Amino acid sequence: MTRKVLIVDDEALVRNYVRRALATRGWTVTEASDGASALRLFGAEKFDLVVCDLKMPDMRGEEVARRIREAAPAVKIIVITGSVSNITSPIVPGVDVDGFLIKPFGIDEIRALADKLAG
Amino acid sequence: MSSKANILIVDDEAQIAEMISASLQAHGYSVAVAYDGAQGIERAGREKFDLAIMDIQMPGMDGITALGEIKKLDPEMEVIIATGHGTMGTAIQSLRKGAFDYLHKPFELKELLKVVERALEKRKFNDIARAIFSTVQPEEQLRVIIDSVTRILKGGESLLVLPDKDGKPHVAVSQGLEDEAALASRLEMCSRALAAPDGAAKSVLPVETPYLDRKFSDIRGLDKVAFSLFLPLVENDKPAGLICINRTEPDAYFTEDDLQRARIFGSLVNLALRNSSLYRQLQETQSQLIQAEKMSALGQLAGGLAHEINNPLSGILGLTQLVLENLPQDSQNYSDLKEIEKAVFRCKKIIVSLLSFSRQEKTHMEPVSINEAIEETLTLCARQMELKHIKIVRQLAPGLPLVNADFQQLMQVFLNIFTNARDAMPDGGELTIATSLLKTPAGDEMLMTSVTDTGPGIPRDILGRIFDPFFTTKPVGKGTGLGLSVCIGIIDRHNGTIKAHSAPGKGTTFTISLPV
Repeated sequence: MTRKVLIVDDEALVRNYVRRALATRGWTVTEASDGASALRLFGAEKFDLVVCDLKMPDMRGEEVARRIREAAPAVKIIVITGSVSNITSPIVPGVDVDGFLIKPFGIDEIRALADKLAG
Repeated sequence: MSSKANILIVDDEAQIAEMISASLQAHGYSVAVAYDGAQGIERAGREKFDLAIMDIQMPGMDGITALGEIKKLDPEMEVIIATGHGTMGTAIQSLRKGAFDYLHKPFELKELLKVVERALEKRKFNDIARAIFSTVQPEEQLRVIIDSVTRILKGGESLLVLPDKDGKPHVAVSQGLEDEAALASRLEMCSRALAAPDGAAKSVLPVETPYLDRKFSDIRGLDKVAFSLFLPLVENDKPAGLICINRTEPDAYFTEDDLQRARIFGSLVNLALRNSSLYRQLQETQSQLIQAEKMSALGQLAGGLAHEINNPLSGILGLTQLVLENLPQDSQNYSDLKEIEKAVFRCKKIIVSLLSFSRQEKTHMEPVSINEAIEETLTLCARQMELKHIKIVRQLAPGLPLVNADFQQLMQVFLNIFTNARDAMPDGGELTIATSLLKTPAGDEMLMTSVTDTGPGIPRDILGRIFDPFFTTKPVGKGTGLGLSVCIGIIDRHNGTIKAHSAPGKGTTFTISLPV
């Protein structure tokens, strides 16, 4: 059974390597470059995991994560960010997320976290 | 014999001018004469005079105008105005224009000589005041003070006594006291005068033959001192030190004039000391403000920058690692990419350090034992210290009160300082960590931690920059130059201070004080 992940980040460079890092580990990867398309894609398909950036032009990642969590309580969510205010607290206010990575992170880190959460 | 002073006489009546001139010369002054205002100004522009004696009614330019011009040329020159009868108004006008005093014609020579002496004395005091006020460097200023007072009061020897940081009097500067035993006896005398409960330490006090005085008679080595004069230094109405001037000739007692001079000088010195202490405070505050300003600007910059840089950096790291997976480990490309990967981790480290002082709201305060924070940190670096042959000396005071602090952040500060100390002693040495409780004069309690290494010390010219962000003496790639900036940020948030003391060859001490 294939595992499915949705990567949400406005930075193509980040989506690119995260996709390839996970694809080589048997993940089926879908990409979204903003919050609105992420929610649209998530509504159309079933995902096991969402990897979501926080700072995006159209919508905060927290908002995307919150709506996804509402729609699918069992989905695993990993937040990735390079921004300052979140660097010390791995907890996103108001949203229940399962994992947290601070950019820059390596391929082993995202693989290990994704594998762990997918069980 | 060199002349006592250089005096300019300006008078259109040649006879009077010659008479004054002759009598002043007879008293050891050197004198020049000008016969009208314009000539006087011209003369004053060419030559340096201490004093001018000037007639007020002269053909051409009058004395008042000439006075103004002369003061413009040389504001420090004193001017005595000679006026005729019924010209009280002009006399007062001349005082307003900066004349020292006026004399009514005809005046007696004795009267003139007295005014001249007073004017020159004022000038001397002005010179001294300028010398004292123009130096704010403490040692230099004290040296100027002791030199001046010894000269004015014709002392054979003199010393200036100040309390050290424990309140114990010590000789800050002295003159004519090369012999150590003599100096010690004078210090003892001053200490007792300072400690006198009857308020003696607050006003000028002459003492005749101190070795016969009940208060000092048990001090050995005072028999050479014939007369002593104690001149108190006062700060905020409290005794703050003492100047002692001694005369050794048997008949050279201090006159009422001497005491008057001493009082004037004393108030001058007190003002100057207060002035320079305020100046130093101002400088310190200013540099703290500049530091704070730098940190805050950098913090803001760092916050914005981090996000922008971390995205591409993440891409570089991820893609590099993906390529690495597909390369044979013994290839040149593999080792090149490994270098790139390492460089990314270096960048990451710099950014994390940068961010650690741009975030300010995350401090978690709780009652913390400072000794415990130190011990925990030492556990982390004990092994490294051992490898570098660095001996750790603990002087941790027992029973210290807890301090409200963020334990993790305190550990970060100590780790930074210990690491710097370790790097300063590549061939081994000693790291001394001491804690103590200090009561400030205001009654507050401060927890003091000092960390001292036996490294080469920090050169004076870079000591002022070590807390600056990105300042480092370590090789490229070894230090971010942010360690001590982070420390200052953390200690600031704890309302404490952190200072570095160092001298080449004498190691470095970092002192952290935290309010209890």
